[in-house]
Amino acid sequence: MLSTKGQVIERLLGGAFICRTTDEDGWRFLRIQANREQVDAYLGQLNRLVVTIGTGPDSEVFFCGYRALGDAERKIISDQFRDICQALTPLVEWLVLVQDAAGQDAPLTEGMPVRLNELQTVIEDTPAFREQLSHLCRHSLFNSKSVDVDGQIKQIFTRLCKLGYLIRPNTEKQIYLATGKLDYLYEVIRFIDDAEGLNLEDQAESAVQGQLL
Amino acid sequence: MSDHLKEAGLRLLRGLARHAEPIMDAYLSGSIADQALEPGVRERLLKDGILYRPEPGADLHLRRAVRALLEEALRDDRNRRIDANTGSALATFKTLADHYKEARHQGDYAAAEAYLGDLKEHVYAFGETLSHGIRVLWSRINNEFGYVGTLDAKIRENELAQSQVSELLAGLELVSFEMLAETAGDLRELRHLLVTNLQRTIGSCAQELSIVQGRLLELLGRFREIRGRTRLIKGWLLHLSQHPEYQVGSHAAGSTIPALLNRADPALAPASLSLHDPTQEAELLALLAQVRSQHPRESRVQALADAPVLTLTVPDDFEVRSSAIRAAVDAYFCEVIDSGEPLSALEYRDRQSLSNDAESWLYQVLGGYEGLPEEQKRYFELETIGEVHPLFSGNFIIRDLRLCLA
Repeated sequence: MLSTKGQVIERLLGGAFICRTTDEDGWRFLRIQANREQVDAYLGQLNRLVVTIGTGPDSEVFFCGYRALGDAERKIISDQFRDICQALTPLVEWLVLVQDAAGQDAPLTEGMPVRLNELQTVIEDTPAFREQLSHLCRHSLFNSKSVDVDGQIKQIFTRLCKLGYLIRPNTEKQIYLATGKLDYLYEVIRFIDDAEGLNLEDQAESAVQGQLL
Repeated sequence: MSDHLKEAGLRLLRGLARHAEPIMDAYLSGSIADQALEPGVRERLLKDGILYRPEPGADLHLRRAVRALLEEALRDDRNRRIDANTGSALATFKTLADHYKEARHQGDYAAAEAYLGDLKEHVYAFGETLSHGIRVLWSRINNEFGYVGTLDAKIRENELAQSQVSELLAGLELVSFEMLAETAGDLRELRHLLVTNLQRTIGSCAQELSIVQGRLLELLGRFREIRGRTRLIKGWLLHLSQHPEYQVGSHAAGSTIPALLNRADPALAPASLSLHDPTQEAELLALLAQVRSQHPRESRVQALADAPVLTLTVPDDFEVRSSAIRAAVDAYFCEVIDSGEPLSALEYRDRQSLSNDAESWLYQVLGGYEGLPEEQKRYFELETIGEVHPLFSGNFIIRDLRLCLA
């Protein structure tokens, strides 16, 4: 059996995001500075290091990045960035759909549960949500050919689990948990917002006020 | 006098108990309509100061003191009131301490005792009010302002709580121990009460309040972040709908790449088994057992997936197990062929002394005859010997069969 350190290194090298929801032991391990230095030292031999994102004390997310950036690494990173930018819009649409359908004022973040059955009932009963769902399915990210809500929503959730945005702790229950990768997604949007000066938050705020007026 | 007070208090408490139902109704719904109460009861409650009418024509409301008692006893979340009036409490302390000193000075020890008791009551009540305020704040923090629905309301509640904490802290700052020590002078009881006791209370409250303040700020930060995220994703969709042609710039191509985007490619491929490692033998065998048990199921699935073209072939010949009675029937047919003479089935049975009983033998012969291929059947004739049923027409009872060549 591998030690926690070994497991953490293996998961990091496998491209996983380590957060409290997906791997609590590994997450606790990495939160300790000394442990992280050990893992960093090991990953250093492979030109890699541990990257942390997350602001709150309990919402850090760890993943593996490159230590030195050569041309090959730059190519990989820019490919990845392009991929994530392409996936951004469908993912954001899905997040908004889940948030609206659940009637919450907080979007999904790490550790929050989604009950598929409840979500499905709401979407089936609301034509606007059904419309949004079938629009989502047309994105190449989800790519569901199904015509009924049941098939569409299951395909989307399966895809999201495969992409690592959700996990399903108990395969017998239709309850999913959001992972730290979603938090990473928010950070990416925030980064784009800052880098391009889009002022997304202000746009949303003024749009809400415009509706109120 | 104290007897009189005690009696009045008991009467009030009994009144509360007797009218518990309307009081709880008023507590839960905020007010109670006049019609809901019998006139006598209404008058009684109004007179006792349990209910009051805030303005003419309005419904009856619970008195603040009764409401506070219930909120406190029920640990109700809706309790938002925090008494931060330190100034008046301090003034009361000082006044009572002066009364006490004066009484002592004049040698009126009974009055001094009474003033000291009063002062004690006030000091303890002050500590109790403070710790109650902190408890209320904690209970609101602990359920994260769950009693209001929206995030904006939570943020407002948080801001209210923060202003209350600031007020409490400002109130605590008013407490000047130098002044209190001066008031107490060299009287031991007063010093104990006003300096030692109060210092301890205020010290622990101030410490706890600073923790409360930290937690409130942290919560506020989290609420704002959640709100920020909601706005961020809504803003993103809005931006895209307004600028359908929008493309994100290539931020990952520049000379400095932000740490956020620095994600390494997965570098681990699945490892293979080492068959020569004896320490893993048990696990490997267990895996192998699983593979075996999975195998038939998998192969069926595969056969379904890529089944060969369906062709119709002659089914393989198979042998019908011969039974003794069939063999005997065959022998009987051969006997008829050999002799060329008609032969009764029962007669043959008796001659061969077969063990089968007559009825099953006849059935078997009948079946043997009917089972022959059509071209063979033509060479035989089966004659049935028997009689018509005497009572029921249309029934023929076979007593014997006779087989002969056609």
